[in-house]
Amino acid sequence: MNKVKVLFFATLRDLAGSKSIELDVPAEMTVQGLKDRLAHDNPKLRQAMETVLVAINREYAFDATVLPEAAEIAMFPPVSGG
Amino acid sequence: MLREVATTIAPDYQTMDYPTIIAVAESELHLDALIERIILPTTGAAVIFTGLVRGRTTRHGPSQVALDEPQETLYLEYEAYKPMAEAKMRQIADEIRQKWPSVEGIAIIQRIGRLYPRTPTVVIACTAAHRDTGVFEAARYGIDRLKDVVPIWKKEFGPNGEFWVEGEYIPKPGE
Repeated sequence: MNKVKVLFFATLRDLAGSKSIELDVPAEMTVQGLKDRLAHDNPKLRQAMETVLVAINREYAFDATVLPEAAEIAMFPPVSGG
Repeated sequence: MLREVATTIAPDYQTMDYPTIIAVAESELHLDALIERIILPTTGAAVIFTGLVRGRTTRHGPSQVALDEPQETLYLEYEAYKPMAEAKMRQIADEIRQKWPSVEGIAIIQRIGRLYPRTPTVVIACTAAHRDTGVFEAARYGIDRLKDVVPIWKKEFGPNGEFWVEGEYIPKPGE
Protein backbone atom coordinates (compact mmCIF):
# COMPACT_ATOMS: atom_id res chain seq x y z
CA MET A 1 0.00 0.00 0.00
CA ASN A 2 0.94 3.59 -0.56
CA LYS A 3 -0.15 6.41 1.73
CA VAL A 4 -0.80 9.58 -0.28
CA LYS A 5 -2.06 13.03 0.61
CA VAL A 6 -4.66 14.69 -1.63
CA LEU A 7 -5.09 18.48 -1.46
CA PHE A 8 -8.22 20.15 -2.86
CA PHE A 9 -8.40 23.76 -4.04
CA ALA A 10 -11.16 26.19 -5.09
CA THR A 11 -14.28 24.42 -6.45
CA LEU A 12 -12.76 21.02 -5.67
CA ARG A 13 -12.42 21.92 -1.99
CA ASP A 14 -16.07 23.04 -1.90
CA LEU A 15 -17.15 19.71 -3.43
CA ALA A 16 -14.84 17.56 -1.31
CA GLY A 17 -15.86 19.37 1.86
CA SER A 18 -12.26 19.45 3.10
CA LYS A 19 -8.87 20.93 2.27
CA SER A 20 -7.03 17.63 2.24
CA ILE A 21 -7.35 13.92 2.92
CA GLU A 22 -4.94 11.06 3.44
CA LEU A 23 -5.56 7.84 1.58
CA ASP A 24 -4.09 4.35 1.48
CA VAL A 25 -3.98 3.29 -2.15
CA PRO A 26 -2.62 0.21 -3.98
CA ALA A 27 1.03 0.48 -4.98
CA GLU A 28 0.42 0.72 -8.74
CA MET A 29 -2.55 3.09 -8.68
CA THR A 30 -2.62 5.66 -11.51
CA VAL A 31 -4.08 9.17 -11.52
CA GLN A 32 -7.11 7.74 -13.34
CA GLY A 33 -7.45 5.08 -10.67
CA LEU A 34 -7.38 7.74 -7.96
CA LYS A 35 -10.06 9.79 -9.76
CA ASP A 36 -12.27 6.69 -9.99
CA ARG A 37 -11.72 5.94 -6.31
CA LEU A 38 -12.61 9.51 -5.23
CA ALA A 39 -15.68 9.61 -7.50
CA HIS A 40 -16.82 6.33 -5.92
CA ASP A 41 -16.14 7.45 -2.33
CA ASN A 42 -17.77 10.87 -2.75
CA PRO A 43 -20.46 11.16 -5.45
CA LYS A 44 -20.26 14.96 -5.23
CA LEU A 45 -16.81 14.72 -6.82
CA ARG A 46 -17.89 12.44 -9.68
CA GLN A 47 -18.60 15.06 -12.32
CA ALA A 48 -15.60 17.19 -11.38
CA MET A 49 -13.24 14.22 -11.83
CA GLU A 50 -13.82 14.43 -15.60
CA THR A 51 -12.23 17.87 -15.95
CA VAL A 52 -10.08 18.26 -12.84
CA LEU A 53 -6.40 19.24 -13.13
CA VAL A 54 -4.01 17.06 -11.13
CA ALA A 55 -0.53 17.79 -9.80
CA ILE A 56 1.82 15.28 -8.20
CA ASN A 57 4.59 16.67 -6.03
CA ARG A 58 3.90 20.12 -7.52
CA GLU A 59 4.10 19.15 -11.22
CA TYR A 60 1.14 18.64 -13.54
CA ALA A 61 0.28 14.96 -13.90
CA PHE A 62 -1.90 13.00 -16.30
CA ASP A 63 -4.22 9.99 -16.21
CA ALA A 64 -1.65 7.26 -16.90
CA THR A 65 0.86 8.48 -14.29
CA VAL A 66 1.46 6.02 -11.42
CA LEU A 67 1.25 7.69 -8.01
CA PRO A 68 4.75 7.78 -6.45
CA GLU A 69 5.21 6.64 -2.88
CA ALA A 70 3.95 9.12 -0.27
CA ALA A 71 2.99 11.54 -3.04
CA GLU A 72 1.49 14.97 -2.45
CA ILE A 73 -1.35 15.13 -4.94
CA ALA A 74 -3.35 18.27 -5.66
CA MET A 75 -6.68 18.54 -7.46
CA PHE A 76 -8.11 21.79 -8.77
CA PRO A 77 -10.02 23.47 -11.61
CA PRO A 78 -8.28 25.34 -14.47
CA VAL A 79 -6.39 28.23 -12.88
CA SER A 80 -7.64 31.84 -12.78
CA GLY A 81 -4.87 33.92 -11.22
CA GLY A 82 -3.59 37.27 -12.40
CA MET B 1 40.65 29.20 -12.47
CA LEU B 2 37.38 27.34 -12.93
CA ARG B 3 35.64 30.67 -13.02
CA GLU B 4 37.76 31.86 -15.96
CA VAL B 5 37.04 28.70 -17.92
CA ALA B 6 33.33 29.12 -17.34
CA THR B 7 33.50 32.70 -18.59
CA THR B 8 35.18 31.63 -21.80
CA ILE B 9 32.90 28.78 -22.74
CA ALA B 10 29.65 30.27 -21.52
CA PRO B 11 29.10 33.86 -22.70
CA ASP B 12 25.89 34.04 -20.70
CA TYR B 13 27.76 33.18 -17.51
CA GLN B 14 26.82 36.56 -16.10
CA THR B 15 23.10 35.78 -16.21
CA MET B 16 23.62 33.80 -13.01
CA ASP B 17 23.83 37.17 -11.28
CA TYR B 18 20.60 38.50 -12.78
CA PRO B 19 17.97 39.07 -10.09
CA THR B 20 14.78 37.01 -10.14
CA ILE B 21 12.08 37.85 -7.60
CA ILE B 22 9.23 35.39 -7.17
CA ALA B 23 6.49 35.60 -4.56
CA VAL B 24 2.94 34.78 -3.62
CA ALA B 25 2.29 37.70 -1.28
CA GLU B 26 -0.30 38.40 1.35
CA SER B 27 0.66 42.04 1.79
CA GLU B 28 0.45 45.14 -0.39
CA LEU B 29 2.61 45.40 -3.52
CA HIS B 30 5.09 48.27 -3.56
CA LEU B 31 5.97 48.78 -7.20
CA ASP B 32 8.80 51.29 -6.81
CA ALA B 33 10.65 49.21 -4.23
CA LEU B 34 10.18 46.10 -6.34
CA ILE B 35 11.52 47.66 -9.53
CA GLU B 36 14.53 48.98 -7.69
CA ARG B 37 15.53 45.39 -6.92
CA ILE B 38 15.65 44.36 -10.60
CA ILE B 39 17.58 47.36 -11.92
CA LEU B 40 21.25 46.70 -12.70
CA PRO B 41 23.97 49.21 -13.65
CA THR B 42 23.39 48.10 -17.28
CA THR B 43 19.60 48.48 -17.17
CA GLY B 44 18.01 51.13 -19.37
CA ALA B 45 14.46 49.82 -19.70
CA ALA B 46 11.86 48.32 -17.39
CA VAL B 47 8.48 47.01 -18.52
CA ILE B 48 5.98 46.64 -15.72
CA PHE B 49 2.61 44.96 -16.12
CA THR B 50 0.21 45.11 -13.25
CA GLY B 51 -3.28 43.64 -13.12
CA LEU B 52 -5.99 45.29 -11.01
CA VAL B 53 -9.34 44.35 -9.55
CA ARG B 54 -11.95 45.80 -11.90
CA GLY B 55 -14.92 47.30 -10.06
CA ARG B 56 -17.22 47.27 -13.06
CA THR B 57 -17.13 44.80 -15.94
CA THR B 58 -18.89 45.38 -19.25
CA ARG B 59 -18.81 42.61 -21.80
CA HIS B 60 -18.39 43.85 -25.37
CA GLY B 61 -19.34 42.25 -28.66
CA PRO B 62 -18.05 43.10 -32.16
CA SER B 63 -17.51 46.85 -32.76
CA GLN B 64 -17.27 47.35 -28.98
CA VAL B 65 -21.06 47.25 -28.55
CA ALA B 66 -21.93 46.57 -24.90
CA LEU B 67 -23.64 43.17 -24.66
CA ASP B 68 -25.38 43.65 -21.33
CA GLU B 69 -25.52 45.81 -18.23
CA PRO B 70 -22.19 46.37 -16.47
CA GLN B 71 -21.55 43.94 -13.65
CA GLU B 72 -20.36 45.26 -10.30
CA THR B 73 -17.60 43.59 -8.29
CA LEU B 74 -17.36 44.21 -4.55
CA TYR B 75 -14.12 42.29 -4.10
CA LEU B 76 -12.19 39.21 -5.17
CA GLU B 77 -10.74 36.51 -2.96
CA TYR B 78 -7.59 34.85 -4.25
CA GLU B 79 -6.11 31.59 -3.07
CA ALA B 80 -3.00 29.71 -4.17
CA TYR B 81 -1.36 26.31 -3.90
CA LYS B 82 1.62 28.27 -2.72
CA PRO B 83 4.63 25.93 -3.12
CA MET B 84 3.57 24.84 -6.61
CA ALA B 85 2.62 28.41 -7.56
CA GLU B 86 6.08 29.66 -6.64
CA ALA B 87 7.74 26.74 -8.48
CA LYS B 88 5.69 27.50 -11.61
CA MET B 89 6.48 31.22 -11.39
CA ARG B 90 10.17 30.33 -11.23
CA GLN B 91 9.70 28.08 -14.26
CA ILE B 92 8.10 31.00 -16.15
CA ALA B 93 11.08 33.21 -15.26
CA ASP B 94 13.37 30.48 -16.65
CA GLU B 95 11.29 30.32 -19.84
CA ILE B 96 11.56 34.11 -20.23
CA ARG B 97 15.36 33.93 -19.90
CA GLN B 98 15.50 31.14 -22.51
CA LYS B 99 13.40 33.11 -24.98
CA TRP B 100 14.82 36.58 -24.32
CA PRO B 101 18.40 36.19 -23.05
CA SER B 102 18.74 39.99 -23.05
CA VAL B 103 16.29 40.30 -20.16
CA GLU B 104 18.20 41.27 -17.00
CA GLY B 105 15.89 41.32 -13.95
CA ILE B 106 12.55 39.57 -13.57
CA ALA B 107 9.89 40.02 -10.88
CA ILE B 108 6.74 37.90 -10.76
CA ILE B 109 4.49 38.57 -7.79
CA GLN B 110 0.89 37.56 -7.15
CA ARG B 111 -1.14 38.86 -4.23
CA ILE B 112 -3.67 36.60 -2.54
CA GLY B 113 -6.44 37.16 0.00
CA ARG B 114 -9.32 39.63 -0.26
CA LEU B 115 -8.67 42.39 -2.79
CA TYR B 116 -10.90 45.34 -3.60
CA PRO B 117 -11.40 47.26 -6.88
CA ARG B 118 -8.45 49.48 -7.94
CA THR B 119 -6.00 47.21 -6.09
CA PRO B 120 -2.99 45.75 -7.95
CA THR B 121 -3.21 41.96 -7.77
CA VAL B 122 -0.25 40.85 -9.84
CA VAL B 123 3.01 42.32 -11.12
CA ILE B 124 5.23 41.06 -13.91
CA ALA B 125 8.27 43.24 -14.44
CA CYS B 126 11.25 42.71 -16.72
CA THR B 127 14.30 44.88 -17.16
CA ALA B 128 16.85 45.06 -20.00
CA ALA B 129 19.53 47.34 -21.38
CA HIS B 130 17.22 48.80 -24.07
CA ARG B 131 13.51 48.80 -24.89
CA ASP B 132 13.94 47.03 -28.24
CA THR B 133 15.41 43.83 -26.79
CA GLY B 134 12.13 41.93 -26.44
CA VAL B 135 11.49 43.21 -22.93
CA PHE B 136 7.87 44.21 -23.75
CA GLU B 137 7.18 40.74 -25.18
CA ALA B 138 8.88 39.11 -22.18
CA ALA B 139 6.54 40.80 -19.69
CA ARG B 140 3.53 39.96 -21.87
CA TYR B 141 4.62 36.33 -22.03
CA GLY B 142 5.01 36.29 -18.26
CA ILE B 143 1.44 37.39 -17.49
CA ASP B 144 -0.04 35.12 -20.19
CA ARG B 145 1.80 32.08 -18.80
CA LEU B 146 0.92 32.94 -15.22
CA LYS B 147 -2.76 32.95 -16.15
CA ASP B 148 -2.35 29.53 -17.82
CA VAL B 149 -0.21 27.42 -15.49
CA VAL B 150 0.24 28.97 -12.03
CA PRO B 151 -2.16 27.35 -9.51
CA ILE B 152 -4.06 30.40 -8.24
CA TRP B 153 -7.83 30.87 -8.23
CA LYS B 154 -10.15 33.77 -7.54
CA LYS B 155 -13.70 33.99 -6.30
CA GLU B 156 -15.73 37.02 -7.24
CA PHE B 157 -18.13 38.64 -4.77
CA GLY B 158 -20.82 40.95 -6.18
CA PRO B 159 -24.17 42.41 -5.11
CA ASN B 160 -25.93 39.27 -6.40
CA GLY B 161 -23.71 36.62 -4.85
CA GLU B 162 -20.37 34.93 -5.28
CA PHE B 163 -18.86 32.65 -7.89
CA TRP B 164 -15.53 31.03 -8.67
CA VAL B 165 -13.79 32.38 -11.75
CA GLU B 166 -12.57 29.40 -13.76
CA GLY B 167 -9.82 29.43 -16.32
CA GLU B 168 -9.81 27.48 -19.56
CA TYR B 169 -6.26 26.35 -20.10
CA ILE B 170 -5.38 22.66 -19.74
CA PRO B 171 -1.60 22.31 -19.12
CA LYS B 172 0.32 19.82 -21.20
CA PRO B 173 2.98 17.37 -19.95
CA GLY B 174 6.13 19.30 -19.06
CA GLU B 175 4.28 22.51 -18.33
